Amino acid sequence: MAETILVLAEQREGKLNRVSFETLTGAQFLGKQTGWTVEAAVIGSNIAQIAAEVAKTAVAKVYALESPALAQYTPDGFVAALKKFIEGNKPKLVLLPHTYQVRDFAPKLAAALGAVLVSDAVGYKYEGGKLLFTRQMFQGKFAADVSLAGDGPWFASFQTGAFRGDQVESGSDGAAAPVEQVDASTGEIRTRPEAPFREAKQAVDLSQAEIIVSVGRGIKEQKNIEIAKALADALGGEIAASRPICDAGWLPMERQVGSSGQTVSPKLYLALGISGAIQHLVGMKGSRNIIAINKDAEAPIFEIADVAVVGNLFEIVPALTEEVKKVKG
Amino acid sequence: MIFRTPLEGIEHPEMEADVVIVGGGPAGMACALRLSQLIDAHNAARPETQLSKENIYVLEKGREIGQHCLSGALLDPRSMNELLPEWQKEAPIEAEVLRDSVYYLTKKGAFKAPVTPPPMQDHGNFVISINRFAKWLGSKVEAAGITIFSGFAGSELLFEDERVAGVRTDDKGVDRTNQPKANFEPGYDLKSKVTILAEGSRGSLTKQLTERLGLTRDRNPMTYGVGVKELWEVPAGRIQPGEVIYTMGYPLTTKEYGGAWIYGGRDNTVSLGFVTGLDYPDPRTDPQHVLQSFKQHPLAAKLLEGGKIVRYGAKTMPYGGWWSMPPLGGEGWMIVGDSAGFLNSQRLKGIHLAIKSGMLAAETAFEALISGDSSARQLGRFQRKVDASWIKQELYPVRNFHQGFEHGFLGGMLNAGLLMATGGHGLRNRYPAHPGYERMMPIWDVMGQPGGRDQLLGWAKGDGKLTFDKLTDLYYSGTRHEEDQPSHLIIQDTDLCGNRCTREYGNPCQFFCPANVYEMEEVPEEPGKKRLHLNPSNCVHCKTCDIMDPYQIITWVPPEGGGGPNYDGM
Repeated sequence: MAETILVLAEQREGKLNRVSFETLTGAQFLGKQTGWTVEAAVIGSNIAQIAAEVAKTAVAKVYALESPALAQYTPDGFVAALKKFIEGNKPKLVLLPHTYQVRDFAPKLAAALGAVLVSDAVGYKYEGGKLLFTRQMFQGKFAADVSLAGDGPWFASFQTGAFRGDQVESGSDGAAAPVEQVDASTGEIRTRPEAPFREAKQAVDLSQAEIIVSVGRGIKEQKNIEIAKALADALGGEIAASRPICDAGWLPMERQVGSSGQTVSPKLYLALGISGAIQHLVGMKGSRNIIAINKDAEAPIFEIADVAVVGNLFEIVPALTEEVKKVKG
Repeated sequence: MIFRTPLEGIEHPEMEADVVIVGGGPAGMACALRLSQLIDAHNAARPETQLSKENIYVLEKGREIGQHCLSGALLDPRSMNELLPEWQKEAPIEAEVLRDSVYYLTKKGAFKAPVTPPPMQDHGNFVISINRFAKWLGSKVEAAGITIFSGFAGSELLFEDERVAGVRTDDKGVDRTNQPKANFEPGYDLKSKVTILAEGSRGSLTKQLTERLGLTRDRNPMTYGVGVKELWEVPAGRIQPGEVIYTMGYPLTTKEYGGAWIYGGRDNTVSLGFVTGLDYPDPRTDPQHVLQSFKQHPLAAKLLEGGKIVRYGAKTMPYGGWWSMPPLGGEGWMIVGDSAGFLNSQRLKGIHLAIKSGMLAAETAFEALISGDSSARQLGRFQRKVDASWIKQELYPVRNFHQGFEHGFLGGMLNAGLLMATGGHGLRNRYPAHPGYERMMPIWDVMGQPGGRDQLLGWAKGDGKLTFDKLTDLYYSGTRHEEDQPSHLIIQDTDLCGNRCTREYGNPCQFFCPANVYEMEEVPEEPGKKRLHLNPSNCVHCKTCDIMDPYQIITWVPPEGGGGPNYDGM
C-alpha cells in the first residue's frame, strides 16, 4: 500500500493561515521523491470554504474535520479529534506548519499516539529510502539531521519560511481535489478557553510623545508615582522612568528611557528625582526642553537641564499639577 | 557549592564532541589552533587514519570572540613565535615596545627608577589590544575548520562519577523568576571526551571542578588583583606608540599592593589602568576610585588633558604564582591560561603563558584522541609537559614573589631582592599565602587608623572630564545584558548583607565591584536599615565579587550567553 503524507492546514477564525501553503509545498516535494500520496486535512467548524481552498492545490484528497465543538481552538478538542482521525486514517507522515497553535497541541497529539515529533524543521532529506529532517541548533549555527524511529505515524512541523508558499502546485487543469467530510465530534472538551490573548503591542510609543514626565529614584516609593502620573495627565503627556524604577517593576519596561530602554526627544521632558546618570541622559538628551527637579543641587541632570529646580518634588509637583490644571481650565 | 537553580523537567539535547574548549581568549584560541595544526599534520602524514576536526568546539560567552577580553596589554612574543612563526606579519599589533620606565609616585611627585628593573624591561615585547588580538586568533581558528559557538556560555560541567564528561551550555530565554519565556531554548549537553577549561580568571566551571574534586588541596590559595582600565584618545604628541610606563606608590599606600600601567598605542590611543591587589585591608577600598585618583596625579593628568575616554573595563588577574596553581589535568579535563593561574606575577604578564599552556594542552588532547584515552593518566601528562617547558623555567624562580607582599610594599620589595639573590628560594622553598579576602579588616578597626587614604575609599565623584563616577565609566564599557533573566550572582544568604556585613565590613561589595552591580538600598519600612539590591545587567564579568567577598557567599555564574561588556579595542 502506498504511504500517505497528511498535511494539516491551519485555520483560525475562518481564515486559512497562509503558512499552510509552505507546508503543502514541502509535502509535495517530498511526495514526488518518495512516491507517497499527499493528502490534507482542515479542522474546525464551518470550514467548507477553507477545505475548498486547500483542495485547489495538488493533493489527492482533503479531509474536513468538522464539529461545532471545534469552533474554538482548544488543545483538548483538537487532539481528541485528530487522534481519532489519524488512528483510522493511518498516514505515514503528518506535516504541520510550526505555528503557535501547532506548538501548543502537536506535542500532546504525538504523545497521545506514542509517535515522534520533529518540531521546527527547516527542511528534509530523503536519502537511500531514509527520511531525515533538518533542525537548527545553537541558534542556527548548526544544522542537525534527525531520523525518525518506529513505524509511524511520524510528525514533523516546518518552520515558517522553510518552503515557499507561492511554489505550491495547483491541481491539474484547475480541478479541485475531492473533499471528504469527517465527523469530528469528540467527547467532552475539558478545556475552557478564555478569549484569545494578544500580546499588547507596545502600548505606548514614547518616541512619539510630545510631553514626557519621567521619574527616577527620588520618587522613593511606588505609590508616589501617582503624583507624577497626575502631572502627566494634567499636561496630556506620557509617564516614563529611569532604569531603577522599571527594574523594581514600578512601571513597565516599555516606559524605560535610557541606554537600555527607549530614546526619546519630546518637546518637553520633565525629570523628577532623576540624578542623570549618563545611561539615562543618552536616552533623552535630544529633548527640546528639559525641566529637572531634584533635591541634590549637584545632580548631573542639571548640566543638561534648561530649567533646573532644586527642591523637594513632593511639594513642587502637586502644586505644579494644580497650576497646570488652572491654566488649562 | 551553591549554583544556579536548574529548571525542572527540561530535557537537554545531547551532542557528542571530541574536544570542548570553554572560553575563546588567548589560551582557548591557541589551544584550538594548535590542535588543528596537529590534526592537519597527522592527516597529511597518515592519510589512512584521518582525524576529524568536526567535533571540536569552542564555547565563548561573549557575542563574538574577544568581546570579553581585557588586558593592558603587553605581549611577550615567545609563544606566538612557536605557534605561528609568521604571526607578526598579519596580527593586529599596536606597536613594538620602544622604551620603558618605572616611577615611584608620591601624591604630587614622581621618581623615576634610574634603571628599569630587569623583570619590567619590555624590550622585544609588543603593545597589543587583546580584544583585537583574540578576534584575529578567532578568525584563524574558524578558518582552520573548528567551530566556535560564540554567545554560548559553559554553564555547568557534566560529571560521570568523578570524570568530567562534558559541558552544558546556558539555557536561553529564562525570565527573572526562573521560568521559561516564549523564546526558551534549553542548553545543550556537549558530551565530550576532553574538556579544556580556558575561562580566564576565576572561571566558574573551574570553580565547580575545583570544589568538587578538592583541587586546592596542598596548594597555596590563589591570590588576585583587579585591573581597572580606561582606553583614551589623547592629543597628538603626548606619548609615542610603544612607550611603556609603570608606576608604584600613589594613590596606594604601603598597605595595598598594586600599580599602574600606561601604554602608548596607535593613533594617539593610550591604554591606562590600575591593578589593585584583592588583599587590601580597608573594606571601603574602591579600585575604580583608585584609577580615578591615579589619573589626577600630574604624571597621568598631563598625558590625558584634552583627551577623551573611549572605553572602560575591569578584569581580575590571578597572580598567586606557581604554588597556587591547581593540578592541570585529570579524568576528562584540563585547565589552561588564567583559569589555572598561568601568570608571571613579577612581570605581570600572562598572555604568552596562556598561549603556551593552550598549546601544550592541545598536544595532550591530540595524544588522547590518537590513543582514545582521556583518563587522568593521559591528560595528567599536560602537567609534565608544562614542567618540562619554559613555562616552569619562567614561573618557578618567581614562585615566592607575590607572597612577599602580604605584609606590605616594603617587605615585598625586600623579599623580591632576596629572591633574586637566591634564585627564587628566599628563606624557604615555598612561602605560604593567604586568600586576599582574609586580610580585609572590620570596618571599626580601620576607621581608627590614621587617614591619608581618602583617594582610595568610597565612590569616586568624577569631574566628567578627567575623572568619572562609576556609572559613567560603566557606560563606556558598552555592557548589555538581557534584563529579564535570573540573577547570575548567586548569593547564599542575602540576609547577612543588611545585618552582619553592614556591621562588620560596611558592605564592601558596593566598593569593590567596578560596575555598580551591588547596591545597598534603604528599606522603606525600617528607617536606617539597608538591604542588598543587585543590578546584574551592569556586570562586566570581572569576578571580583566572587573573589573578594569576605564571607565567600557569592558565586558568579555566566549570564545568558551574548550578554556582557563590549571590549572593542581594549
